[in-house]
This record gives sequence, C-alpha cells and structure tokens, in this order.
Amino acid sequence: MDFATLAAQLNAGTILPEGIVITTLLVVLVGDLIVGRSSNRWTPYVAIAGLLGAIVALYYQWDLSDPISFLGSFNSDALSIVFRGIIALSAAVTVLMSIRYVEQSGTSLAEFIVILMTATVGGMFLAGADELVTIYVALETLSISSYLLTGYMKRDPRSNEAALKYLLIGAASSAIFLYGVSLLYGLSGGETRLSVITTNIAANNVDQSIGVVIALVFVIAGIAFKIAAVPFHQWTPDVYEGSPTPVVAFLSVGSKAAGFVLAVRLLVSAFPLVSEQWHFVLTALALLSMILGNVVALAQTSMKRLLAYSSIGQAGFVMIGLIIGTEAGYASMIFYLLVYLFMNLGGFACVILFSLRTGTDEISEYSGLYQKDPLLTLALSICLLSLGGIPPLAGFFGKLYLFWAGWQAGAYWLVLVGLMTSVVSIYYYIRVVKMMVVKEADEMSESVKNYPASDWNLEGMRPLQVSLIVTLVATSLAGILSNPLFALANGSVEKTPLLQSSLNTAQTALVDQSVATSSTPAPL
Amino acid sequence: MNIADGVQVVSFAVLALMMLGAALGVVLLNNIVYSAFLLGLVFISISGLYILLNAGFVAAAQVLIYVGAVNVLILFGIMLVNKRQPFAPVRSAWLSKVATAVVCLGIFALLGTMVLATPWQLSTEAIAGDGALVKIGLHFFSDFLLPFELASVLLLMALIGAIVLARREYLPDELEEETVLTLPERPRELTSSGSRSNP
Amino acid sequence: MLSLLIWGPLFGTALIALLPAAVMTPARARQIALVVAAGVLLWTGYLVMQFDPNLPGLQFRESLSWVDSLGLTYQLGVDGLSLPLIVINSLLVLMALVATDLNLTRPRLYYSLVLILEAGVAGAFVAQNLLLFFLFYEVELIPLYLMIAIWGGAKRGYAATKFLIYTAISGVLMLAAFFGLSFLSGSHSFDYDGLQAQALPMATQLVLLITLVVAFGIKIPLVPFHTWLPDAHVEAPTPASVLLAGVLLKLGTYGLLKFGFGLFPEAWQLIAPGLAVVAVINVLYGSFVAIAQTDMKKIVAYSSVGHMGYVILASAAATPLALMGAIAQMISHGLISALLFLLVGVVYSKTGTRDVTVLRGLLAPECGMPLIGSLMIVGVMASAGIPGMVGFIAEFIVYRASFPVFPIQTILSMLGTGLTAVYFLNLVNRVFFGRMTESLAQLPRIAWRDRIPSIVMVVLVIFLGLQPDWLVHWSKSTTLALSEVNRTATALMLPDSEP
Repeated sequence: MDFATLAAQLNAGTILPEGIVITTLLVVLVGDLIVGRSSNRWTPYVAIAGLLGAIVALYYQWDLSDPISFLGSFNSDALSIVFRGIIALSAAVTVLMSIRYVEQSGTSLAEFIVILMTATVGGMFLAGADELVTIYVALETLSISSYLLTGYMKRDPRSNEAALKYLLIGAASSAIFLYGVSLLYGLSGGETRLSVITTNIAANNVDQSIGVVIALVFVIAGIAFKIAAVPFHQWTPDVYEGSPTPVVAFLSVGSKAAGFVLAVRLLVSAFPLVSEQWHFVLTALALLSMILGNVVALAQTSMKRLLAYSSIGQAGFVMIGLIIGTEAGYASMIFYLLVYLFMNLGGFACVILFSLRTGTDEISEYSGLYQKDPLLTLALSICLLSLGGIPPLAGFFGKLYLFWAGWQAGAYWLVLVGLMTSVVSIYYYIRVVKMMVVKEADEMSESVKNYPASDWNLEGMRPLQVSLIVTLVATSLAGILSNPLFALANGSVEKTPLLQSSLNTAQTALVDQSVATSSTPAPL
Repeated sequence: MNIADGVQVVSFAVLALMMLGAALGVVLLNNIVYSAFLLGLVFISISGLYILLNAGFVAAAQVLIYVGAVNVLILFGIMLVNKRQPFAPVRSAWLSKVATAVVCLGIFALLGTMVLATPWQLSTEAIAGDGALVKIGLHFFSDFLLPFELASVLLLMALIGAIVLARREYLPDELEEETVLTLPERPRELTSSGSRSNP
Repeated sequence: MLSLLIWGPLFGTALIALLPAAVMTPARARQIALVVAAGVLLWTGYLVMQFDPNLPGLQFRESLSWVDSLGLTYQLGVDGLSLPLIVINSLLVLMALVATDLNLTRPRLYYSLVLILEAGVAGAFVAQNLLLFFLFYEVELIPLYLMIAIWGGAKRGYAATKFLIYTAISGVLMLAAFFGLSFLSGSHSFDYDGLQAQALPMATQLVLLITLVVAFGIKIPLVPFHTWLPDAHVEAPTPASVLLAGVLLKLGTYGLLKFGFGLFPEAWQLIAPGLAVVAVINVLYGSFVAIAQTDMKKIVAYSSVGHMGYVILASAAATPLALMGAIAQMISHGLISALLFLLVGVVYSKTGTRDVTVLRGLLAPECGMPLIGSLMIVGVMASAGIPGMVGFIAEFIVYRASFPVFPIQTILSMLGTGLTAVYFLNLVNRVFFGRMTESLAQLPRIAWRDRIPSIVMVVLVIFLGLQPDWLVHWSKSTTLALSEVNRTATALMLPDSEP
C-alpha cells in the first residue's frame, strides 16, 4: 500500500474539527510558554475561537458523503457530529466561566484551558470512534484529563480528595470496561471494528455464549460510570462537591454527553445480539437513577451536591430515550442533551458567580439573594426551573419530548416513574428558588448581607457575564423556538446509517418473531 | 509429547504458579514494599507467558514498561512517602476479608466457566513471531493510525498535568507559609522558575 | 384576537420586570399593571360583543403550527364553555390588582407574577391543543406558588409547597392521560378536534378518564384531594385567594368538562353516578367542616369546597340544562367567593384578625365598617342562594337539571344550601352584629380602593341574579352541542348493553 492510496483511504478531512481544537490547544500552550503569565489576557479567547471554529467545521461536515475514515477507526456520521458539537460547545462555555474562577484561585489559566481542551478532544473522538482501540484511547484521554481537572486546585484538600476518588473509581471502571472490550475482541475472532464485531460473533456461533453477556455487563459498567447512572454514581457527589465548579460544569455536560454517545454506538452496533439483556439492564439503571438521584437530592444542603444528584436524575431521564430505541427516542435524547447543555451550564455559571462573590456553595447561604442581585436570582431560578421542567422553558420541552417518545414506544412504567420523579425534582429545585426569592430582608444570610456590589468590569467577569446571559437566553427561548433544535435532533437520527439500520433491524426482528422461529440468524 | 512440548508445559506451569503466588502476595502481604517487589515479579511472569506465546516484542515491552517504568515509579512513590502510620485495627475485619474472598472467587469461577465454555475462534493467520515488530508498525501507520496519534495527545496532556500537579505555585501572599513546608536546602531560584508556567 | 389575552399580560410583565428600577417605581408598576389588566378586560368585553352565542362550535379560532415533532400546535378558540370563564378571569385579575395593598413589598415582582398568572389562565381556557393546555396549566404554577410563599401569612411556606406538590402531581397525571389518549387511539395528534377517544376499548377509556378526574379533581378540589386548598387559601394574600377561588379552581371543572366529558362521553356515563356521589360528599363535607371553623378565611375556603360540589353534580348529570347550570355555578361561585375573600381581606387588614370568636359588631355605623358589613351580608345571602342574586339562579338550574337524573344525590346536595346559610349566618352574626369590643374600636379608615372591587362584585351578583339570561345565553348552543355528543354516545351504548 503506497502512501498516496493510504492518504486517500484515510479520509482525514473528517477529523478537521478535532484538528482545529488540537491546534488551538498547542497555540495556547506554546503561546503561554513564550509570553508568560500576561498571556492570560488572550489565551482563553483563542481557545474559545478554536472551539467555535471546530463547531463551524462540524457544520460543514453535516452532509458528508463518506463519513468513515481512518480505515474504519472513525465514523463522522450525523450522530457523532451532533455530539461533538455538544461537547465542544460545553467546553467553550466552560472556558468562559472559568477565567475568573481560575484567576481567583491563584492557579494558572493556560494549563487549565489546555487540559480542558484535551478532555474535549477526547470526548469528540469518543463521539465518533468506531473501533475498540480508538474508543479506549479516546475514553482515557477524556478520563485522565478529567482527573487532572478535578484535582487542579491542588492546595484545596477537597479538590485533592475529589481527584483521588475520581481517579481510583475511574481507573477501576475503565479496567472493567477494558476487560469487557477485550472479551468482545476475543469473541469476534480478533476484530476491533464495531461494525464487523456483530457479524463475526454471529458467524462464529458464539452469540448464545455467556461471554457476550459478560462482555456486555462489563462494558455497561464502564459507560454507566461515565454517565453517573445509579449504582455507578457513588463518585459523583463527592467529586462534584470538591472539584472546581467550572470543571463540574464540564463533567456534567460534556463528559456525560460523551458517555451517552458511547453508549449508543457501542450498544447499538456491537450488542444487537443481546439487545433484550441490555435493554433490561439499562431500564433498571434508568429507574434507579431517576428515583435515587431525585430523592436523595431532596436532602442536600450544598448547591453543588444538589446539582450532582440532580444530574444523576437527569441522566436517568435521558436514558429513557436510549432504552426505547425508536427514532423519536434517539432524537429526544439528543434534544434533551442540547437543552440540558444550556440549562445546566447556566445553573453552574450562577453557582460560580455566587461562590466568587461570597465564597460559599451552601444552599442556605442563598437566602435573600433577590434583594441584592436580581439578575443572578433570575438566571439561577430560570435554569433550575427549566431543569425541573416548568413551561415555557427549554427543559419542559425536552422532558415532554422524552416522555412523549417513551409513551409512544410503550415504555409506560419508565414514563410514569419519570413523571413522578420530575415532580420530586420540582420540589427541590423550587426550594432553592424559594430560598433566594421568598426570604425577607431580615432573613438574609450572612454572605448575602456582605454581598459585594455587582462589578462586571473586574478582569474575567465579562466572559462570565456573557456565558450567563447566553445560557439564560438559550434556556428561556430554546423551548419556545425549539423547531431548529428538533430539526437538528431528528435530522441527525435520520442521517445516521447506524441508527437507521438498527431501527430497521428492530422492525424486521418483530416481523421475524411472528413469522419464523428464532433459529434463523437475525438480519443485520 | 516431544521435548519442546514438554518444556513448554513445564515452563507454563512454573510461570503460572509464580504469577499466581506473587499476585496473592501482592494482595495479602502487609508490608507495602514487599507488595511492590512482588508486583514486579508478576509482571515478569506475564512477560514469560508472552514469550511462550511467541510474542517476543510484547514480552520485551512488558518488561520495559511495567517493570522498568511503572513498578520502579511505584517503588519511588513508596520510598518518598515513608511515613509510617499505624492503622487502627478494624474490628471484625475478617468478615470483610471473607466477603472479598467470596466475591473474588465467584468472579473467578464465572470468568473461568466463561473461558472454558466459549468456543473461541482461533485466528487463521500465520503466527508473526519475530516479524511482529514490522506488523505492529504497519498497523500503527494504517488502521490504528488514529488511536496511535491520539495517544500522543494523551501523553502530552499527561505530561503537562504531571507538571501542574508537581510544581509549586507562586503566590506572593503565601510565600512565607510555603517556605515552611518546603525543603530547606531547595534553592530559591528553582522556586521562582517553577512559578512561571513553562513546564 | 385571542392571542392578545395571552400576550398582552406577558408584554406588561416584560415591561414591569425588565425596565430599570429608576423608571419603574412601585407606583408606576401598579399603574402599568392596572392599565394592562383593564385593557385586557376591555378586549375581553369586545370579544364578548363579537361572540355569536348561536354558534355551537369554537369561535375566533387561531391556528399556528408550533412544535411539529411533538404534535404541539398553537390552536386557540373559544366557545360558550370557556367564554364566561375568560371574562371572569379578566375581571377578577383587575379587581385583585385594585384591591392590592399599596405598600406591599417587592411590587415589581408581585405585579409581574399576577400578569403572568392572568396570561397562563387565559391561555389554558382558550387552548385547543392538549399539550398547549398542559403547558398553560403548568405556567400558572410558579407565579401562584411565589405569591403565596412571599406575600402569604405565617405558615406560607408550608401552604405554598403543598399547593405546588398537589398541582404538579395533578399536572403529570393529566399529561399521562393525554399521552395515553393520543397514542392509544393512534391519532398521534394532540389537537382537540382530531381526537377520537371513542374508538378505544371501554376499559382503556375508563382508566384514562379516571386519571383525568383525579388530575382535575386535585385542582377542583374533590374531597379526598382537597387538603391543599384550605391551607393555600388561609395563607395566601387576599388577591391570590381571590384569583385562586375565583379562577384557578375553575380550571379543574373546565378541564373536567372539556377533556373528561368532551372526549369520553361514553365512559362518562359509567362514572357519572360515582361522580355524583363524590359531589354530594364534597357539598356535605365542605359545609359541615365550614361550620366548625373559627377563621373567616377557612370558612369561605370550605364553602368553596362545598360549592364546587354543585358544579360536579351538574357535570355528572350532563343534560343540556345541567351543563348550563354547571357553567352558571362556576361563574356564580367565581363572583361570590371572590367577593367574600375580598371582604374578609379588608376585615383582616383593618382589624388584624380573622378569628370569628374575637370580632364583634363591625357593622357599627360610627367606628365600624358599615359598608363592608352590608356588602358582606349581600355576599353571604348570594352564597346561601337567596333569590334575586346570582347564587340562587345557578343553584336552581343545577338542582332543576340534576334532579331527574340523580334525585337522591340532588336532595342531599340541597342540604348543603341550608348548611351554607347556617355557617354564613353564624359568621355574619358574630362578626358584624352585637356589641363592638373596645379593642376593635380604633379601626383605620377604609379607602375606596378597598371598597370598589367589592362593590363591583355585588353589582354583578345582583344584576346577574335579576337578569339571568346574561349569565346563560352565551353557553346555550355549546351545552346543547356537548350534550348532543353525550346523547349519541348513550344511544350507541344502549344496543351494546342490551345483550
């Protein structure tokens, strides 16, 4: 194979967005190296420009005729494009939020941005990875950067503790994931490309083997750790509480989205032979996540822990879309993640702003905030109510679509549990709103009494303000003007061959079941 | 059974026993330095198994990376943190040990059954043997190009991260407090050079 | 046209909330809110003029596509069922705003919330798409929660949270029923017109209908689900109580008629006897509990529980006349309970207590509140169904229409009217007659601002009592058409039930 044909076969243009991010990362790194500390004034904006550039590049890939690249390692289909966009966008907003926070904590900004962007690159590659080795390397890129980010405030013992917990549990879970993946490799007779694995497993007559089920369980354990589904969630509250808040924002959106796209790709393309089993396991995970996440959130006193449990519950809602596996199901999952991006990041922007001004994350310290800072109160209220699914905010439409799709597919119990737990979630979200809005002047907390005058001209505050306003506007309007987002979500499902073929398989399997015996191999 | 097969069986048995014994030692011994050295023994046994499987390059890499780098790093870590802290004995610790043993044996039994019950598909390709290096190189630059290149980003980031975690921060207002914690013989110039963000 | 009812108040909200504090003084916020509410009321009046009472179907229809993927369309329309309720909504919001204390804290937030509430309720009454109705139904949740929680009484936090939880559960039950209705019937549309619930098996219909009854029953409130209402009423500030009793409870009965009866006429026939029994329980329970209360607001709140029972009874009977009675009773209850809450609010704000055992002789002409007392007596008479007032008309229609269908239940409900007289006479007797105690002698002056809303209400109560045609002629065609559906349903059912 000579070089020219190899280069043609690689089809390397598909990873242009990731290339842009990596280039920006290097520019930030080297620029900071040369210029020194004063580079803080421009590096974040270079990073944001790079991430937005990546999103633009993704936009031009929407209609790509040949998405498979790197000889099957990478699949830049519409599904991956949407998820890469979500991850890159969440990273961009996180950079905006983190400038002031990192400066205030006295750590260096450029390295923070570099590590964050590496995590983004890992997540973006994970979204398109179509082959086991790539999946694993991308997953580790994302994970290891996340561990580093978690422990970035190294003089803060809470941050150290969070990083250590995250590292230990994360390493264990990725070891289990790797074991599952290696079983897949063995069962398929030495094949790493996802699209071929199932064919080989079926051809080797090992599809009824216990090995496939064990591989499935191990793989799900690894994925569930990433998306923080109960019972693989134990790390979440501690890590969320201890880590720097912008990092938590990224973990709860970008990293989670990467976990979901990995789940879709791996489960749908590598495990169709045991689809009953994985649906069962995921249903259990979703129910547990919705119930436990939302119920435990009721008892939290720290805002970050509250958001941690709420994000567990939200992961449960999103999993409904994955489990039902219809066209509307996948689309609703994507749509929900899109609006979740805005509302959750908005919530975290408010938490960051509050803790910058008062130095605390306790919910009780928010009491009476309305009197001192109406804008922050409004923004946080809207984001929290949107997370709770109050119309006409974006979260309402997201939940409506998820439940709509779930009910359409006949997943009644999932939807009913989702509806009931979302009532519970309204309760604890409104508790925070009540704390801020309802309390009278004499019930104000100490930190609100000493609240500094809002000064947006401090260095690094403008970007935070921009991120706050952008997420606020998006959260308020993305629901009412949601048609473009719906079109995006539906379009990405329609244009993804993987999902389409799985939908067709499901239909033909239904027909097959009624017509023929199960001895015939399932069509692919 | 000819003599080559015999040697193979015997060496496999020896290596396997060595590996299992050392691995149990890693887990069960109380002295962490012994555990670290035994871990090295486990890695070496595994590389022996690779040699038995005709994978000389992987065996060499195993020794180089795991014994030469990872294990030595672990030993460094242990020796630098030589703080001896007596653990308070946990009451009814045997219970959790028994539970752990049961779980481990259960998983072992499950995986063992799975390995034996599965009709594994053996690769039909010729064994690469000494040509493995070339083959691996070919793969790295054709169908595994992407993960290979991505790993370089991963390594770069790990390098930066390690430096970020290891270096001392320059904080003017906390300088006095920091000097208390640092080694007295450490020259001041190093402190300030570490403060700049160059890795 | 109808959009203006929704977007007008929202525009007012945006104006009040977003303009800088220097421009938007409390007085100006109040002016803007009043102007917007008055404008909406005028516009409602104009719509009433344009409304053709002889057409049975929806009028002033608006139809825009919104979120196609969900089947959520922006479909508005108004018929004889919703028109009176819209009028009540616009009227009571204006009255509540007028009656609002001038010195209340955080005026901008307050006026914004009231206007959002108005928009949400108007939207729910005109929505012709199930999901759109659900959306507006939920929109109204947070403003009212905040109104109770911020400007409420001593136990406001508890009451507000209880209200929130109950209403949110009611919302999700409703959504589940709507989903079931749309998907099981295979229509995959949520437009009210396009739904074909009758095609479903009867068991499914029953399950869906009962889910809906529970969902709306929480809002109405039906007796086992009513516990949030007294708490919410007692703790809520006067304007919120007025809106809650006058308008928001009607969302429940409206939903029951529109979505329960309107979409499941056959299944409705099956549950109607049970519903009538529940109605009787509501009436008797509400009345008896009201007798035992000493808090004036609680008495009015429990009388609300009782009077909403009449609406249920009439809805269960479901003859054209009964439906008309249900609508009339909704309007009458909206006016009367709003009037009573306004008056109790005045008494409370001037005397500082609502305890029946403490208040005495407020009717005293010199230092008491004679006008308020007289208005109260009129309101109480109306509530007890004295002829010449709107309460009598509505209750008479309800009894007249329900008796042929459910004779025993109707007779038992009539007891409720008698009991109403008992507890309200008791209230008036203690609070307004007798010798005034010394501690009450120095009452602050009552401003016209406090009196005007009550006077307007009393005028309406008496006017509609003397000229009942104005009360019912809007809904004649609609109720006829609605019960026509019902009759055909019964006719269809009869051959089924015979063999």
